[in-house]
Amino acid sequence: MVLIHENEDQVFHNDDDDDNDNGRFCINDNLDLLIEVLQRVDGRSLGSAACVCRQWCSIVRNDSLWEHLCFRHVSPPPVGVRPVVSALGGYRRLYMVCVRPVLSRLKRRRIGGGGGESEVVRRVWNQHEVELSLSLFCVEYYERLLVGGGRGAAAAGDSPASSLKFLCKPVNV
Amino acid sequence: MKRNHIITSDVTGKAKKTMWDEEDAGVDELLAVLGYKVKSSDMVDVAQKIEHLEGVLGNDDGLSLLASDSVHYNPSDLSSWLESMISELNPTTQPPIIDDSFMNIANTAIAAGNPPPSEVDSTSAFVDDLQAIPGNAIYPPTKKVKSSSSSAGASASSSYNPNPNPNPVVIVDSQENGIRLVHTLMACAEAVQQENLALAENLVKQAGMLAVSQAGAMRKVATYFVEALARRIYRLSPKPPQDSPAFQDLLQMHFYETCPYLKFAHFTANQAILEAFAGKKKVHVIDFSMKQGMQWPALMQALALRPGGPPTFRLTGIGPPSGDNTDHLQEVGWKLAQLADTIHVEFEYRGFVAESLADLEPAMLDLREDEVVAVNSVFELHQLLARPGAVEKVLSAVKEMKPEILTVVEQEANHNGLVFLERFTESLHYYSTLFDSLESSGNGGGGVDGGAISPASNQDKIMSEVYLGKQICNVVACEGPDRVERHETLTQWKSRLDSAGFEAVHLGSNAFKQASMLLALFAGGDGYRVEENNGCLMLGWHTRSLITTSAWKIR
Repeated sequence: MVLIHENEDQVFHNDDDDDNDNGRFCINDNLDLLIEVLQRVDGRSLGSAACVCRQWCSIVRNDSLWEHLCFRHVSPPPVGVRPVVSALGGYRRLYMVCVRPVLSRLKRRRIGGGGGESEVVRRVWNQHEVELSLSLFCVEYYERLLVGGGRGAAAAGDSPASSLKFLCKPVNV
Repeated sequence: MKRNHIITSDVTGKAKKTMWDEEDAGVDELLAVLGYKVKSSDMVDVAQKIEHLEGVLGNDDGLSLLASDSVHYNPSDLSSWLESMISELNPTTQPPIIDDSFMNIANTAIAAGNPPPSEVDSTSAFVDDLQAIPGNAIYPPTKKVKSSSSSAGASASSSYNPNPNPNPVVIVDSQENGIRLVHTLMACAEAVQQENLALAENLVKQAGMLAVSQAGAMRKVATYFVEALARRIYRLSPKPPQDSPAFQDLLQMHFYETCPYLKFAHFTANQAILEAFAGKKKVHVIDFSMKQGMQWPALMQALALRPGGPPTFRLTGIGPPSGDNTDHLQEVGWKLAQLADTIHVEFEYRGFVAESLADLEPAMLDLREDEVVAVNSVFELHQLLARPGAVEKVLSAVKEMKPEILTVVEQEANHNGLVFLERFTESLHYYSTLFDSLESSGNGGGGVDGGAISPASNQDKIMSEVYLGKQICNVVACEGPDRVERHETLTQWKSRLDSAGFEAVHLGSNAFKQASMLLALFAGGDGYRVEENNGCLMLGWHTRSLITTSAWKIR
């Protein structure tokens, strides 16, 4: 990711904005480009991108990036999903809680441990996997409702509810 | 040689008993069955003599001597018979000490972990008694004794030294003990069947002690069965104390989280209902097994996302009375309504409290003309078999509701046979398989994930085991209307539903694929199998089918 930045730096060396003193390109002034780049990286890189600076963090937290991450390899992209997913907690949560563990588990079963984390998202996943992930996501939301009834659903925070514990790796990465 | 080995371990079992069980001063039961009269107090002595004799018989001269010249009087009196044989063969040798075998058993028992929560909790007392034996040459266990954290079925290597060694090391083989445990349990059940309660009592105590020497799933299953048998023998309570539905729900929740059976049930039933509701604008689901309503969020989400938009979704939940003045059914309904609101599905809910499903009348349910009805029952129908005529009444009530589809999920086992021993055997196999699968799901299966098990998942596992343990208790210890866990196989349900006027609807390949994928997600997913059987889906562990989802419509 950093590599791309440096490449762009060299490629666009001559197209400098008026704001820059020494004519160097700054990605932060071309957020549309940044977003284009971020739409193509995997989940782990998105997470790292969020740690770069406050501006990047606010960009990465935009749910549409995560929507793109979840469904860019599914064709055709499912319709009508967005309001449901947004209501249930958003695509970022969907990815963290359901999509990533589901894909990594299923991939592991199929190939038997080959490839790294970055391979996981690049494979095409099919209708059934989408449906299953969405169902599990909905169940998880309901469980938070059941558990957090008295304290409010916000108290449950980012940790997934217990019905999805079977998806979590025992050792925290 | 084999017989001697068995007797030696047997001796130690019985010797354990005599040390702290004062009442039992009579003849040893198990050997009596074989035709030998040995006083329990003499058992140690007899064992030593057998060891000695074995050693002495190692050389051929002794054997031929015995075969031709010796005269044996009263062979059923093992003690003196052995004495006579030993003195004939080798009048001067000292009898060997076999105290080390006791120590090894103690170590196995201690290594096997905490004693089970049953009336047999004598492990520590037993060890103290052992220390009091005036013995020499206490061997530390030189062979590996597997601790309880390893998988079930591991065994310490058993070695028997045929040489006339003054200190033979006899190590208890826990795998052989496992076989003995099963045999003891079966013998106990047979004794109960024949109303021979005295024998059954002895056997159940024996089984309890053997259970402690096991590891993993075997130990847990055996412990529950021992407890259930004890309840039956001693008639400890007319029925096991009735837990509040809230507690039962809690146990089922943990069971839901730990292993895929309930999830499989929900997902496959939902798929059948979804397909039956295709294209319909108003749908009504009647759920006989409301509990916490965990099945319905997934269905609502699928309905919300179906092409053409969601229908109006009405849910009627039926459940037992809560007992603690809270309207549990209504609370669940509120939560589901909240979810439905979030995902923009029109939702209506009604809860019905019924002591038994047979009390249900279709007229109460406010069935509307333009609605399509689905009836769902997960692990509920078998309970009706406790009362004659109840299941027929319920099925005819269901027919009056004119459902588009009836989904039934039941355990795949026959625990409703007329003969107690058959039920016992069936349930022993069934629950052993279930506990086996639980065991692997806790260990993160396949070794791919690895890492330590978090305490939370251990708690889930324990609660699931308690949940299953209660079922075991009901199958074994209860009778009559109290015995509600009357599981029957798919074939039996099929004939029942056929005669009630239903015919099977095939669950499609979508359900199969979804179920397979779901199972692949679970740790230990390699052990789970989805099978299709005449349109019904069965979930099993390795070769044994454990639960079945089937769908039915009115003929």
